[in-house]
Order: sequence, then structure tokens, then C-alpha cells
Amino acid sequence: MSENYVAPGQQRYLRACMVCSIVMTYARFRDEGCPNCEDFLHLQGSPDQIDSCTSQVFEGIITIANPQKSWVAKWQRLDGYVKGVYATKVSGQLPDDVRTTLEDDGIQYIPRDGSATEAD
Amino acid sequence: MASNSWQFAGADDESDDDNFNPAPADMSDEENNDNDEETTHNHRPAGKTVRQASSPVPDEEEEEEEHDEEEDARPAKRSRRDHHDDDEDEEQDEEENEEIDEEEEEDEEEEEDEEDEDDVHGGNRRKRRNKDRRAAFFDIEAEVDDEDEGEDEVGDGEEIEDFIDNAHPDDIADSGRLNDDRRHRELDRRREMEASLDAEKQAEILRERYGKRAPARGYGDMAIVPRRLLLPSVEDPSIWAVRCKEGKEREVIFSIMRRIEERMGTKNEVPITAAFERGGINSVMKGYIYVEAQRQNDILVALDGILNVYPRSNMHLVEIKDMPDLLRVIKTPNLEPGAWVRLKKPAKHAGDLAQVIDVTENGLEARVRFIPRLDYGVRDDPVFQADGKRKRPGVPGPRPPQRLFSEAEARKRHPRYLQGNPQTNSWNYNGDDFENGFQVKDIKIQQLEVKNVNPTLEEVTKFASGAEDGTENLDLKALAATLKDSAKSVAYVPGDIIEVYEGEQQGVIGKATNVQGDIVTLQVTEGDLAGRTIDVPNKGLRKRFRIGDHVKVIGGSRFRDEVGMVVKIVDDRVTLLTDQTNTEITVFSKDLREASDIGGQGSLGQYSLLDLVQLDATTVGCIVKVDRESVVVLDQNGDTKQVQPSQITNKLPKRKFAVAADRNGSEIRLDDVVREYGGQQRQGKIIHIHRSYIFLHTTTTNENAGVFVTRANSVTTVAAKGGRNTATAGPDLSAMNPALKRNPTASGKQMPAPRTFGPDRAINQTVVIRRGGYKGLLGIVKDTTDTHARVELHSRGKIITIPKADLSFKDKVTGKTIDINQRGGSRGGFGGGGRGGGEFGSRTPMASGGSDRTPAWGSSRSTARTPAWNRDAGGSRTPAWNDGSRTVNPYDGSRTPYGGATAYGGIGSRTPAWHSGSRTPAPDSFGHGSKTPAWSAGSDSWGSKTPGYGASAPTPGASGDAWGYTPGASGGGNSSSAYDAPTPGGGLSAPTPGAALNAPTPGAYSAPTPAAVSAPTPGAWQGGWGSGGDAVSAPTPGALGAPTPGAPGYADDD
Repeated sequence: MSENYVAPGQQRYLRACMVCSIVMTYARFRDEGCPNCEDFLHLQGSPDQIDSCTSQVFEGIITIANPQKSWVAKWQRLDGYVKGVYATKVSGQLPDDVRTTLEDDGIQYIPRDGSATEAD
Repeated sequence: MASNSWQFAGADDESDDDNFNPAPADMSDEENNDNDEETTHNHRPAGKTVRQASSPVPDEEEEEEEHDEEEDARPAKRSRRDHHDDDEDEEQDEEENEEIDEEEEEDEEEEEDEEDEDDVHGGNRRKRRNKDRRAAFFDIEAEVDDEDEGEDEVGDGEEIEDFIDNAHPDDIADSGRLNDDRRHRELDRRREMEASLDAEKQAEILRERYGKRAPARGYGDMAIVPRRLLLPSVEDPSIWAVRCKEGKEREVIFSIMRRIEERMGTKNEVPITAAFERGGINSVMKGYIYVEAQRQNDILVALDGILNVYPRSNMHLVEIKDMPDLLRVIKTPNLEPGAWVRLKKPAKHAGDLAQVIDVTENGLEARVRFIPRLDYGVRDDPVFQADGKRKRPGVPGPRPPQRLFSEAEARKRHPRYLQGNPQTNSWNYNGDDFENGFQVKDIKIQQLEVKNVNPTLEEVTKFASGAEDGTENLDLKALAATLKDSAKSVAYVPGDIIEVYEGEQQGVIGKATNVQGDIVTLQVTEGDLAGRTIDVPNKGLRKRFRIGDHVKVIGGSRFRDEVGMVVKIVDDRVTLLTDQTNTEITVFSKDLREASDIGGQGSLGQYSLLDLVQLDATTVGCIVKVDRESVVVLDQNGDTKQVQPSQITNKLPKRKFAVAADRNGSEIRLDDVVREYGGQQRQGKIIHIHRSYIFLHTTTTNENAGVFVTRANSVTTVAAKGGRNTATAGPDLSAMNPALKRNPTASGKQMPAPRTFGPDRAINQTVVIRRGGYKGLLGIVKDTTDTHARVELHSRGKIITIPKADLSFKDKVTGKTIDINQRGGSRGGFGGGGRGGGEFGSRTPMASGGSDRTPAWGSSRSTARTPAWNRDAGGSRTPAWNDGSRTVNPYDGSRTPYGGATAYGGIGSRTPAWHSGSRTPAPDSFGHGSKTPAWSAGSDSWGSKTPGYGASAPTPGASGDAWGYTPGASGGGNSSSAYDAPTPGGGLSAPTPGAALNAPTPGAYSAPTPAAVSAPTPGAWQGGWGSGGDAVSAPTPGALGAPTPGAPGYADDD
């Protein structure tokens, strides 16, 4: 059965990860964490972390069926991620400490709120 | 980092192989670069990969060897690891290190496996692996190599189907299976180890372990490749726009997601690679979803039967160059505290204006304040309505009006739900927070309307009026005006001088020649590119001004419509000096335009600057500032207030002929220049007269546009033009008055008429001509007119006519300059002479007496008398004197009433005192040696003050004696009955004493000075006069008498 499908009634609980922009329900973030970023965001079972690292404000839903082949995925820099539903734009900013952690881990964080495209 | 980079390199190698879309040559460049950058590790693992691929199932020993090799090759990594463990137990240290290294190696081994599997392509790999298993002992190296090469050569196109499975999780699973046995053993050992560590260290290790691993997970390649290298090519799948039902975009995407997952692994997998939507209420892309697939038919298959999407009716292929635009993301500007927003969410408040107080760190929630809509439970009807149905929650009834929170009302019905602090005026009522009457709430930003808020002045005014101090009021109101249309983006107009401050063309300056949408075409005017025409996007541009430019504020700022001169430029902030108020304001250059007009906007509707308007029945005001939506009015009380045109009752037309009177009673009209009397002495031109208030305009201050208001009766006119004296409003009477003309030296206003009474005193005077051809010659005035005198010159024996003003009167004896008009003294002498009937020898004493007297007079006149006179109203002096002199004047008849009746009032009392008291006795006493005692008595009485004097009786005493005499003298001196009337006439019988008794008391007291003065004066000259007959005796005592009493009199006075 489809795990990434979210019924319209549940869509108001959707949140998007600010790092990888994957869109899932709050409950899934809580139960499973972010499938792409869990290693450093540690969202699983941590509502606080979910609140600060995911955003309920996002636009432009993308369903990625094949992250490797899809140009959309590549353009959105989703090609290393699991297939699923992503957002084109995620508003909100990662807390500074999380950013620092990312930097320390050598992860280049791509803001998903549109500020990154300015730089290109 | 070594490991990371190493892994990145591996990944790059992979992607080299994996690259199903190898199109851009840049890409490979990029990778080459990457490889170059990497250290030797890069090559090692790469080589190793090949080796491993060639022997996919290495035995333990071989692997150990490899580990060793790796360890050697990565000293950096190891040292870091060691360093990290420093704080751990020494005992465990070694063991752990070993352990960790082992784990590490395992991890890496796994990844190597991954890599090596990635190296080989998906579907093949699985098969091959199986084959490998079975044929572990067969030499298949060659075959594999061939295959690899073949794959490389064949390229991606054919392999695409297999490619899908090339996902990491699978790989991991595979590698797990691969090393099954060994891993089990490892796991056991590790668990043992971990169990022996305490939780914290475990956590530390775990974090270290996974923290390390994370970056390896597909982040490397993603972060490195710049976007422009990711642009789509023909190799990429195409994107089709598919029509769908508006508002259902998201649902459709999720439906597709579901279908993809449901059919995954089945033979009819959904053949698309991605689908997305860019819906949204305001989006231009709503009503479409975008599906990425290789073939159009795939989309039809994929979307078949999905609700709300219509692939068959409407489907466009998106051109490759447009593809990136589909996914363009524009950053939403962050909310700033103080910004205005509209609420979307609490249905009760939908559309209400709110002000942002604070924004959370992640920018997703804002604390806003707005005006609550509370009914305080008034409409809290029971849960069951009349029809028995349960009220459906969420259905908003009529919503209560916006009103600030009232503690009292809340307390009335729900005292239990109310808690708070009256000091800070913050309350919690029914779970909502209220501060200063406003409801304060944390609201998610998606429930706020941030763009195009356009608050109206009325709305914002409500917020402003909630502020405790009135000062904030104005600011906020002004802000309201500001915010209007603030959502409009910068508008460039052809002709604008524009600077590029951001992006590749940074620093270019040019003139806009064309503006289309977001693209501005610039004709470059400066720098290397001068003369070229370039297109630049709107953002990153700013208008450029120079100091001294005359600019107008066009928007965004609350200074909108101000016009002024640029005085300073810092980045994009421009400071200008406004024309209207001469104040400095700072605005963004984007809000400025080169201005051609001068001065700010002068009018709002029918109201323009400096108009007089009626605010209410009792208030009028002058418009001193015109804003966009409101005007500032200075009302008659001097208060300024900002009002909207709707609050103005009407405009008061300028009444051209309005007249008011200033404090001097002078008439003032519009445009007269007047000065405030007292206060700041501001001076200004009258622009409005309203009842007793006048509105003045001055250029010396710019406060209130130079307008101030004051009362008409507190100003005086200054300008000649405005100096309409009511006294002169009619014909100039003084000019028509021949008497005044005749005696021009007399200060015209002080009772001129009496003075000029009788023959001109100039006649028979010795004069020197001061001016003209006869200058310096001496002569005698023979005749006069009002203005001229006929003078008989001593030297030439002829009579000439000369203006009186050119004459200087000289004393006949001493040659001193005298003033013939000033006093009776000289006149007395003169008169005496006149009466004497000519210039006789015997007269000379008279004259000399007069001249003797003159100094006496002179002294008194110059020093004491003048002030004394000044004390009295000026007008009264002359008559008093005149009276004195006149009393004895032969022409008295007509004059007495004058003196007596005069309004020269103050003196009314004095005049009698004068007549009776001092004069009458004095002359007598002086006139006769025997009277001296009387005089002395008089002088005593002077010394002892008036009662003594008044009572004194000197007068009676003197008169008692005197009368025997005086009448004789006077009767002899001049028999005129007129003379008798005032003084002696009365004096003869009872009057004198009566007068003396009556008058002195008040008179002497009220005005000692005049009394004193008067005493000598008449005395002196009454003597001189009264003794018309016995001239000799009179002058002397007169001369003596005069000074003596005079002195004490003055002293008294002072």
C-alpha cells in the first residue's frame, strides 16, 4: 500500500523538511523521522526538532517516482533522496544550531525557501 | 574530511558511470576538476573498486590486507578518530580504537561494496551477483571487465530500465547479504563491547559513527554541481503540462503518488519519473499539473482514471528552455515586526488587519495584535438552539464588531475566565491574551495575508488610538498613508538613471530606455560598457541620483509626494531636504523620482494649503499641511490636528474685506503685516481673520508651514500699508486746522488751540534768522501769518517775509535764545510789555524780570516740571499752565471757562488749588514786603504739608492782608473784570478763602508738585504782573519767591 499518499483530510498535517524538502505528515516525521536527513536532524520522536526543522509552509508539491532519472529531481537536488513527495519551496529557516551542525558535518545545506536561487 | 572527500570521489566515479545524462561537456569537466582536486586517495579506491569488482567475493585475508592498506592510507582520519576518543577511558582506549576502526572499515567496506555495485548497473548486478555466488571459483574477471566496458560504451540509453533499481537501500541490503557471516560475528562483538560502555559513550560513539556516515549519503554530488550545469537537455525526460481542476492540484499529485507506489514492482509500473504542481490561489500556474516522463503516452497511462485531471483534453509539452522556470522559487520576504498583515484564519477575524509584534526564529509563526471581536458572552446562547439542533461549531454567526478589549465587560459575565494584570493592562480572557485592549495571538504565517495588505487609514487609526500617548497617533496615521499601495514593486520608467548593484552586471550605470515587466533595458552611460544596451532584471537595480537633484518621493515611504533636493546618498538611502518644510528626510532611492515640479502637493480635493476650514461649530482651522489622505489643521486655539477631508465641515471662503482692530484700535485687514504684542513678538501677514482670531503667515519659521494664530487684540500693525489709524480714518483734521499750522512747533495734539489764542507772540520779538540769504541777521518781528513772519532787520532797515521756522527768538536784553511759545513767563513779560503799551524803559525791568524768571522757569521746566507734567496726562498740562497764565490774562473772559471747565481734568482739582491757594496769596505777599510773613506762613504750610497749607490760612491770612492790596494792584494793573472773575473776584470777598479751603486739601495732596509749582509760578509772575504798576518790586520777589517754594515742592514730589 502506498505510504506516501496523504488523504486530503490529512493534508493539513503535512510538513516539509527544511533540508531535503520531503513532505510528510507530522505523524510520520515523528514516527519515522526524515528518510533523507534523519542522520543529522534526528527528527524521530522529537516534536521539538520537528517543529524547528520542518515547516508547515511549503508550496509546489512534487512527486518523485524516480529520483535518479528525473530532471526535476536533479534540478531540485533531490536525486540522492528516496522517492516520495517533495516541495519546491519550503518557507522557514533552520535554527542556527542545526545549521552549524550541518556545516560541521560537511553537509552543504541548500535553503529551500528560495534564497538559494538568488545566488545562482 | 578525508573520508568524505574520498567518498565523494567515489561517488563521482560512480556518477561518471551512472550518468544517464552525460550531455553537457561541462559536466565531465567538472568531474575532472573534482578528481584533480582530490588527493591520491581518490585514485586508490578507484583502482580498488576495479579490483573488487573483478573479485566480488574476496576472502577474509584479502580483505584484511585491504583494510591494512586503507588504514595506512588514511592516517589523517585515524588521528582524528584518536583525538576524538581522547576523553575516553585509557583502558578502553586501545580496544575501542581497534573496534571503531574495524567498524569504520566495515562501513567503508560496505560503501565500497556499494560503489562497486553501483559501478555495475542495476539489474545486471543482481543477476551477476547470483552468478558470482555460484561461480565463486570461476575466473570471470575478463567477462566482468568486458561487461563493464561494454556498458560504458553502450551508454545509458539502453540501460535505463534497469537503472531504476539502482537505489541505495537495495545496495545496502545486498552488501549485508554479501558479508553475512562476518557481519554476524562483528555484530556480536560489537554488542558485547557496547554493552560494556555506558550509555553516554555509546551515544557518543553512535553519533560519531552515524554523523560520519551521513555525508556519504548522496550529499556530495548534490551540493557541488551548480545549477546552471543542471539545465535540462534533450536527454532528459520531457515535461508536459496537464490540465486539472483548479484547487485540486495537490490532491492530484498525491493521487499520482499513490498510484506510483501501488503499482511499483508490478509489471505495469507507472512510467513517469516525476509530477509536480505549482498551484495556489494567486499562482499563474494553477489549473495545471506538470508531469515528467519520457513519452507523452506514458502520461496518459499514468494519469488514466485519476480524478480531477484531464490529460486527454489538454496537454502541452513544456519547452526545454522553459523547464527551469517551472520550478522557480521566489523567496517570500520575511515578516518584520511592525508590519501590517491580514488575518485569514480565525474565521471571526478573517480579513481583519493585524500588526506583527514578533516573528519566531524560523519565520513560520508570528505574534500579531489585532482588535478583538468579542461579545463577552452576550450571545452565548445555549448549545441547543431553538429548533433543538445542536449548533454546528465553526459556523460563524454575525460577528461582533471590532472593539478594544474591555476588562469591565469581561468581568460582568465571565469573571472566572478573566485573569490578568491591570498594571500592564494584559489580560487573559477565555484563553485569549489581550494587551492594552488588543488581542495578541501567535499565528502561523500561512494564516496571514502578507502581501497586498493595503491597510486603510481608518483601520490603522484604530490601532493608533489604542496607544497611551497621543504622540504615537500621528506617526501611525502617517504610516497608514504610507502603506497604501506599498505592495507595488519598484517601477522604473524610461529615462530613469539606474545603477546595477547586484549580480553580474554590478556597477553598471545607465539610462533606462525600455521597461517590460521585470526586464529593464539600459543604455549604459558609464564605464567600459558605455554605449551598449543591456537588459537587466528589475531586481538588483536601483535608481541613481546625484546630490543636488530635485526629486519627488513617489511611493513606499510615508514621505510620499514630498519634493526636495538630494543632500546625501548612502547606498540606496537618499536624504533630501524637502521644499515644503525644509526638513531632512531619508528614503530609499527606489521611492524617488526626478521631479519637475516644485513644492509638495498643495491640495487635497477642494482643500488646499492655507485654506481656512470649519471643523465644527466652534472650531475653525487653517490647513498647514496636506497629506495624501489627510490634512493637518491649525485651529484657532493654536493646536494642530490631523483630519480627514470628511471631518471638515466646509471651507470658509476668504473674506476679502474682513476687518479687525488691533490692540491700538487700528484697523487691520487681510495681508496686513502685524506683530504680536508681547509674547514672542512674531510678525506675520494676515491670511485669515475669523472673529477675534487672526491667522498669520510668517516666513521666519517653518513650523506649521509658517502659520500661527493669535487674537486680533494682541497684535499691532507694523506696516505702513496696514497702519490705518482710526483717528485718521477721516480727513486729516490737523492738516486742516489753521491753529496747528500757525504754531507748528507746538506738539500738535496737546491742546493747540488755547495756546494760539490771542496775538501771535512772535510779534515784537527779537529774532535771528537761521537760514537762507538773511541768515544770521537780527531783527524784530513786525507781523506774522500762520506760517511766516515779517521781520524788520536791524541791519538793513527793511522788512522781509520769512518762514517762522527759520527764526530763532532771542531775548532782547541778553540775546539768549528763548522760546516764545513755551511758557507764560516770557509771555508774561511779553504781555506785560504789551500791556505796558510798548517798549519803555520802565518795561525793561519787566522784561528783565521776565528774563530773570526765565532761568527759574527754565530750571523748573527742564527738570522738575516736565516730569511733573508727565505724570499727569499730557493734555492737561497746557491748559493748566494756560490757566495759570490765562487767569491773569486779559483775555480771560472767554478762557476761564476753558480752564475751569476743561477736561484736563485730573487737574480739575488742581486748577482751583492753583488759583486760590498758591497764587493768590503769593503774589500779594511778594508784592508787598509786608506780606512776607504771609508768604512765610504759606511756605511753612508748604513745609508742613497741605493740611497746614490748606487750612492755613495763609491764604486767608494773606488774603486778608493782601486783599487790601491786591485788588488795588490788580485793579490798577488790569481792570479787566474778566480777571476778577476767577481769582480776585472771588478773592475779594469770600471766594478766595473758600477756594483756598476747598482746594488745597485735595489739590495739594493729590498733586503736591503742581501745587508747588503753581505756587511759585503765579507767585512769581503774578507778582510781576500784578504789579503792572509797581514793576520794580514785583520781579525781584518774584524771582526770589519762585525758586524757593519751588524747590521744596519738587523735593516733596519726588
